[in-house]
Amino acid sequence: MSDIWEGPLEKIDDYRWRIPKSYKPGMRVDGIIYADEKLLRDIRQDKAPEQVANVAFLPQIVKASLAMPDIHWGYGPSIGAVFATDIDSGGVITPAGVGFDINCGVRLLKTNFQYEEIKHKIKDLIYVLFDMVPAGVGSKGDIRISEREEREILIKGARWAVEKGYGIEEDLECSEEYGAMEGADPSTVSQRAYERGKAQSGTLGSGNHFLEIQMIDQLYDYNLCSQFGLTLGQITVMIHSGSRGFGYQICDDYTRSMIHCLSKYNIKVPDRQLACAPFNSPEGKAYFSAMKCAANYAWNNRQCLMYLVRKGFEKVFGMSWEKMGMYLIYDVAHNIAKVEKHTVDGKKLTLCVHRKGATRAFGPNNPELPNRYKNTAQPVIIPGDMGRNSYLLVGTQKAMEETFGSTCHGAGRVKSRTSAMKSIDANQLLKELDSKGIIVKASGKGTIVEEAPQAYKDVNEVVDVVHKAGISKRVCRMKPLGVIKG
Amino acid sequence: MIKNNYELLEHTADIGIRVKGKDLKEIFINSAWAMFDIIAKRKSEINERESTFPHIVKERSDDLEQLFVNWLNELLYLSATKELIFYDFEIERLDEKNLEAKVWGEDIRNYNVNTEIKAATYHQLKIENKGLYWEAEVIFDV
Repeated sequence: MSDIWEGPLEKIDDYRWRIPKSYKPGMRVDGIIYADEKLLRDIRQDKAPEQVANVAFLPQIVKASLAMPDIHWGYGPSIGAVFATDIDSGGVITPAGVGFDINCGVRLLKTNFQYEEIKHKIKDLIYVLFDMVPAGVGSKGDIRISEREEREILIKGARWAVEKGYGIEEDLECSEEYGAMEGADPSTVSQRAYERGKAQSGTLGSGNHFLEIQMIDQLYDYNLCSQFGLTLGQITVMIHSGSRGFGYQICDDYTRSMIHCLSKYNIKVPDRQLACAPFNSPEGKAYFSAMKCAANYAWNNRQCLMYLVRKGFEKVFGMSWEKMGMYLIYDVAHNIAKVEKHTVDGKKLTLCVHRKGATRAFGPNNPELPNRYKNTAQPVIIPGDMGRNSYLLVGTQKAMEETFGSTCHGAGRVKSRTSAMKSIDANQLLKELDSKGIIVKASGKGTIVEEAPQAYKDVNEVVDVVHKAGISKRVCRMKPLGVIKG
Repeated sequence: MIKNNYELLEHTADIGIRVKGKDLKEIFINSAWAMFDIIAKRKSEINERESTFPHIVKERSDDLEQLFVNWLNELLYLSATKELIFYDFEIERLDEKNLEAKVWGEDIRNYNVNTEIKAATYHQLKIENKGLYWEAEVIFDV
């Protein structure tokens, strides 16, 4: 990590930097990184810009290989990558552009509580929720399901949970894709993926996944806040989880098969992890279907987690979740590929948009949005690290024009897990968080250290860039009160 | 088998390892050992390992890199589904394209689990014959 990336980064404006396609023979488009000068210094510290250039090799990539300000070094594309291929002219789909944790994402729900009313109950809440929500590596849920039901989940996504009574119709309306992508065919999923995902529905997982009780500590757009029913001091809950072992196995299965596609379709990429296939090939279609299955699994998982959170609040406060106003604001995916229509150089194209560590940020009046959000534009939820803030933003028309309707997804790491482990003391960190009024419960101390605030960029700076660049708009900011880590 | 014969590589989001071995077999074994060493540590209060039957792993791939990545990912799959941490590996056959191995695992409940490894990746993967020894580098998605 000590090597500084020395490649070209040409300034387009205060928040955009170009890696010209002349940088490496084989690049089909430029790379464009969204950042300010300060974040750019961090970005140069690791190998993420090289990965932005590598993505530009993908067949039929259009416009540019984009990176959001939370960009950091991943495998294949960087984390924070957004890119799209023209599927009608042979554009590809790559599992590495989605990642292993397919539809890792986040949802935000509000409550009627003000901080002052429940500040003495935060600790109780965290302990009750820690008990109810299975967390940690390989954790298993109480929501047991048969294999037949598992297949149903893959098709129905969050609707499965709602039909079981673990939520209401409105929850689906307040989820990206209404909680399920259409066209998920369970026959494209291997038996191995079923086995690996078994019994993990309704579990949080480990690593950066979390459940957080927060309060709104800053309003930016009063009009939008009032439309979303949000005020200063209000308590919110954020849930961050994904498709767990099920998604990892699908990514592994299809990376294996797509390695063969590189020679079969004569595709040249500088990193084998960028294994891909034409979207309309049998291999491309099969992966996209299996990916949808995993995405739907993840939406159902977050719906089940939200059900457990509502139950936990009911237990602590002795009233119904409806009475506590625990309605979902929105649920967004951070790791996903979608077929979307966008205008590129004046032409309307059907694209396979990959968002790997990036969030969809559709502007106002987009037909994909439910009626309640047609005026406001799509809510975008940006989790920070456990010591700093999280944000609610909305998408913009400018994002539609510049970034295929996409924005950042979080803070982005600056410190490796290994160096975090070396330099941060878990007990010291817990004390520091405690002094800030943040209660943390985790299944292991290792996770706390790896996910320490010092290991991340400042989410405030990241959000500042996407707001000022105009690809999303700040609505309000939350600060953590209690955190459960996997 | 040489234990602890690996070093961690700096990587912002994920974990990378560098492994040495006297031959290719040792590279495969030491990498697998390192991977499970990162995932979990055995609880000190548990003494004897019960003797268990090994699992058989067979892989066929187009080349050595694929064979190596598939080997590690197969072990992750087995570990997740059988709820085992693997601690001993015996490679019975290994060439550029084929691998047959016996692997011994122990109940995951005898371990403190530290890190979930989602997969081994091809990103910056290296498997090199250095003359007197072999060396491999692999990055895990965690």
